[in-house]
Amino acid sequence: MAHQSPAPAMPAGRADVPTDPLVVLEGVNKHFGALHVLKDIGLTVHRGEVVVVIGPSGSGKSTLCRAINRLETIDSGTIAIDGQPLPEEGKALAQLRADVGMVFQSFNLFAHKTVLQNVTLGPVKARGVKKAEAEANAMKLLERVGVANQAHKLPAQLSGGQQQRVAIARALAMQPKVMLFDEPTSALDPEMINEVLDVMISLAREGMTMIVVTHEMGFARKAAHRVVFMDGGQVVEEAEPETFFTTPRSDRAKDFLSKILTH
Amino acid sequence: MRTRSAGLIALISASALALAGCGGGGDEPGGNQTDTGGATDSSEESAVEEFPAGSTMAELAQAGSITIGTKFDQPLFGLVGPDGVPQGFDVEVAKIIAENLGIDEDGIEWVETISANRETFITNGDVDIVVATYTINDKRKEVISFAGPYYLAGQSILTLKSNTEIEGPDDLAGKKVCTVSGSTPEANLLANYPEAQVVPFGTYSECIEPLRNGQVDAVSTDNVILAGFAADNDDLEVRGDPFTEEPYGIGLAKDDTDFRNWINDVLEASYEDGTWTEAWEATAGTVLPTPEPPAVDRY
Amino acid sequence: MDAIIENLPAYWTGFRTTLQLTLVSGAIALAWGLVLAALRVSPLAPLRAFAAAYVELLRNTPLTLVFFFLVFVAPQFGVLPPLGFWTAVVALAAYTSAFVAEAVRSGINSVGIGQAEAARAIGLTFGQTLSVVILPQAVRTVIPPLINVFIALAKNTSVAAGFATVELMASGRRLATANPGDVIWILVGVAFFYLLITIPSGIVAGLVERKVAFVR
Repeated sequence: MAHQSPAPAMPAGRADVPTDPLVVLEGVNKHFGALHVLKDIGLTVHRGEVVVVIGPSGSGKSTLCRAINRLETIDSGTIAIDGQPLPEEGKALAQLRADVGMVFQSFNLFAHKTVLQNVTLGPVKARGVKKAEAEANAMKLLERVGVANQAHKLPAQLSGGQQQRVAIARALAMQPKVMLFDEPTSALDPEMINEVLDVMISLAREGMTMIVVTHEMGFARKAAHRVVFMDGGQVVEEAEPETFFTTPRSDRAKDFLSKILTH
Repeated sequence: MRTRSAGLIALISASALALAGCGGGGDEPGGNQTDTGGATDSSEESAVEEFPAGSTMAELAQAGSITIGTKFDQPLFGLVGPDGVPQGFDVEVAKIIAENLGIDEDGIEWVETISANRETFITNGDVDIVVATYTINDKRKEVISFAGPYYLAGQSILTLKSNTEIEGPDDLAGKKVCTVSGSTPEANLLANYPEAQVVPFGTYSECIEPLRNGQVDAVSTDNVILAGFAADNDDLEVRGDPFTEEPYGIGLAKDDTDFRNWINDVLEASYEDGTWTEAWEATAGTVLPTPEPPAVDRY
Repeated sequence: MDAIIENLPAYWTGFRTTLQLTLVSGAIALAWGLVLAALRVSPLAPLRAFAAAYVELLRNTPLTLVFFFLVFVAPQFGVLPPLGFWTAVVALAAYTSAFVAEAVRSGINSVGIGQAEAARAIGLTFGQTLSVVILPQAVRTVIPPLINVFIALAKNTSVAAGFATVELMASGRRLATANPGDVIWILVGVAFFYLLITIPSGIVAGLVERKVAFVR
């Protein structure tokens, strides 16, 4: 997105706080064997809201993110998206996932498909969109994330940053109600992080509902309405970004922030 | 599949031979007994003395063991029971021959031979003789030699008792006829009754259940084999007269004329002294009438 | 050697049956094996259990016994298969499909889990995920073992000789009975005709392997 001017810094948090619940988690618990990775999680994300989930590794933040489109099953509790509880495996679940965009840490582009095919596959197969229409839309999205000139290459021929931008375009092609980002910049070389974050920031500006697991405080400050701090499988603290980063209430958050800030 | 089991049998029989060889070599007391027993002049021991040096008989008598191929799945002729020892008329005939070599039952190694591997086992030397419902014919005589015949069988037909359509081989047209893959009866059917639908299995015993289930209409092979099945199964019946002549001979290495003549002598002697009849009556004679012994063919 | 040339027509008849057995049961085994492999990685536990049980049972049973059950045991339960070609096809396909399923499953496992997650995340169903994303990527690793399965199948058809099917092996046995003096050559002829199927298959395997590797 080199053609765009850098996004202006935002004041602490965002003024346009939304109020319409879109993703609602209640009493969610999950175990990996003896390990209790999600402990009685309650979380509501509103339409148009951008939530950053932050926390030390092993805190359960990635699992939480993956549970929202049921890549991980939960043991108890409920997760509802736009009023619909998550269905069991089957066609209904596939439909619901089509409404939830997901961006992975390791991109997971389809290795045997071109960049363009990666973006059109979902609309054509899951939504029944005509191929020509899907391709036209895909080219627009690739343009928007700045990799249109790579459309006919295979993913392996692209840099990590380009691949992650394609992955975002792939998720956007489904016109999702909410986008999940699971540590989208953790696998990137430092010089590529910003090209991905810029795309995410502009997405947030356009009003996309986003749940982002990340350690990028710059992104949180610029784009998030709210920061959710997790530790030990629990939501420990929720606050506006500026409040959280400057005056964390819990000791665990203070401890965590001191580590990543001095890092 | 068949070649594999044949190879396995060859291997087993080879090791059996090796074992038998060791036993024979170490069997000094036995040899001594023969010497001291010479004075009493029992028929067996005098026979041992008489074998010309270098003959197959002398070698076998010296070793005190013989490897005999027979069928393991042929009721009345060669059928292995749970104890692993084959029983039947072929087995008794083989024992008469071994006995005349001065070899008792413990000195006999039984090897299973099936229709497809009998010549090969003889030419490879895996077995010394084959007594296995083995039809003498000219093609086989090009490869091996035959003593005997010691019995005249003929191909016949087995059906369910309830079957009213099949009375003889001419009724087999369009019928499914079970037999053994690669056997002489199969070849006969194909050559002389081409309208019969041949259904080949691995053994004759495998034909019985399909016959009962109606998957085949008849089983065809030598009458004596069919008689064994009919005797064991009340619902089965042999139909019509035999339509081929199957003289059963004893297979041995080609052109071992001395051995062949000697076996023929032994067979004729057994016809004379009643041991042949005894052997028949103890085995196949339990379900079949006792025939006249056939004249041996000293070709 | 003459025995082979004189009996070429008999060999040819047997060879054709062997080839048909191989191709027909191979095709069925491929289709059924793919289904089994899909069931083995399906999200539903009972389907996974069924496929796993089927594969383990058939894969670890001697083929002769599979034939035996079909020909001699099934009739006891009122299933009367028509003896011969189609019974052999069913036995061979049922047996071979277990090996196909294993080869395909290992190919599926060779494709990273992230590919399946990404496919599901954009709303593809389980079947679409498998057919559009996973299997096309698994092909490269699946083709070589699959051709080995096919070659084994070509040789395994000889078991049908003992069960009312006159294929190459049974034809060879007939020829051996008719030519007791040339049994060795007759069997060399049988072996030659098997090689006529298996060696080209191996060559095709090599070519296909190189081709899909290049595409990747």
